[in-house]
Amino acid sequence: MVQINLPENSKVKKGKYYKDTTGSKNIKKVNIYRWDPSSGENPRIDTYEVDMDNCPSKVLDLLNKIKNEIDSSLAYRRSCSHGVCGSCAMNMDGKNGLACTKPHAEIDGDINIYPLPHLKVKKDLIGDLSILYKQYESIEPWLKTNKKVEAKEIYQSREDRSKLDGAYECIMCACCSTACPSYWWNGDKYLGPAVLLQAYRWIIDSRDDERKERLKKVADEFKLYRCHTIMNCTNACPKGLNPAKAIAEIKKMLATS
Amino acid sequence: MENKNPLSPHIQIYSWNISLLISISHRITGVINIVALTLVCLWIALLLLGETNYEYIKYFLQSFLGKFLILCLTWSFSFQILSEVRHLFWDFGYGFELITSKITGLIVIFGSFVLTILIYLIGKQII
Repeated sequence: MVQINLPENSKVKKGKYYKDTTGSKNIKKVNIYRWDPSSGENPRIDTYEVDMDNCPSKVLDLLNKIKNEIDSSLAYRRSCSHGVCGSCAMNMDGKNGLACTKPHAEIDGDINIYPLPHLKVKKDLIGDLSILYKQYESIEPWLKTNKKVEAKEIYQSREDRSKLDGAYECIMCACCSTACPSYWWNGDKYLGPAVLLQAYRWIIDSRDDERKERLKKVADEFKLYRCHTIMNCTNACPKGLNPAKAIAEIKKMLATS
Repeated sequence: MENKNPLSPHIQIYSWNISLLISISHRITGVINIVALTLVCLWIALLLLGETNYEYIKYFLQSFLGKFLILCLTWSFSFQILSEVRHLFWDFGYGFELITSKITGLIVIFGSFVLTILIYLIGKQII
């Protein structure tokens, strides 16, 4: 269901203001979404003045600096800091991406940082992705083969292997799914670009024997066809993949088979 | 157990881009076109009730407001047609690259105005 306004308990209020204490000339204001589950209050936007002369280049470095030097109560997920694990996915400057690969110099003016859109917030910048993981499980993302289990690996031609390019690189950071308006309104029923890209990855795998069953499973008005090619997913993907094309390929396979 | 945690902001904070704009406009013009077509059908149905009804509506459509309305609807139809062609190419699996979709998006936006002007000029029998 389309619901433009946020529910009453999610309305964002003005929060604290942390003034710069270093006396630096190169100051940037960073607005960060905060919500503390123990307070029972509405979410708020805290503003931090950050000394940019002593800050490394990425948004994640900026967050680390704030957490280390200004406010240690700030919560966010991060792990590898090299754009491989997908933990630090968040909304920066109105666009989803990985904090560890997004340079803060690309953002003009104040830097606005929010959790991934339209998720239940766990704390501060951490969104609850459990629905997405359940959907991921529902497409059974593992190899299914009817052949007897052999000790040898299953060979694949170069050509077949190249079909997986652009699908296997996905790190499941959920930037695409949470950028998709269709997923916002129908997130409980529509699988969303991230999961459909993975569904596509197993459908086109030449080693998989259950292609037809997999196709049949996603061929659903809600699961698949809520995609209206808005292209927000492809615009958001920090790895440069194209979930919109993968979804279109699934639709094409269903239309031609 | 119902999750009572707040919902993170979505449409309030997400930045706009061409493809998002066209997608929502495609839907809005679609609804407008259906309403417009229904009204045109009703207008034609009014013919059955006699000449005066027809004259009234014709009088309205020849006023400035009526002409403006027709021009707006022409744009709405032009936009819908071009955007639908873009969707058709997508259905064949072409045009998904970010740069291509941006270019075709711009073509749809500018093309809809060009098409409107063309139809207007043809209607005026200028070309």
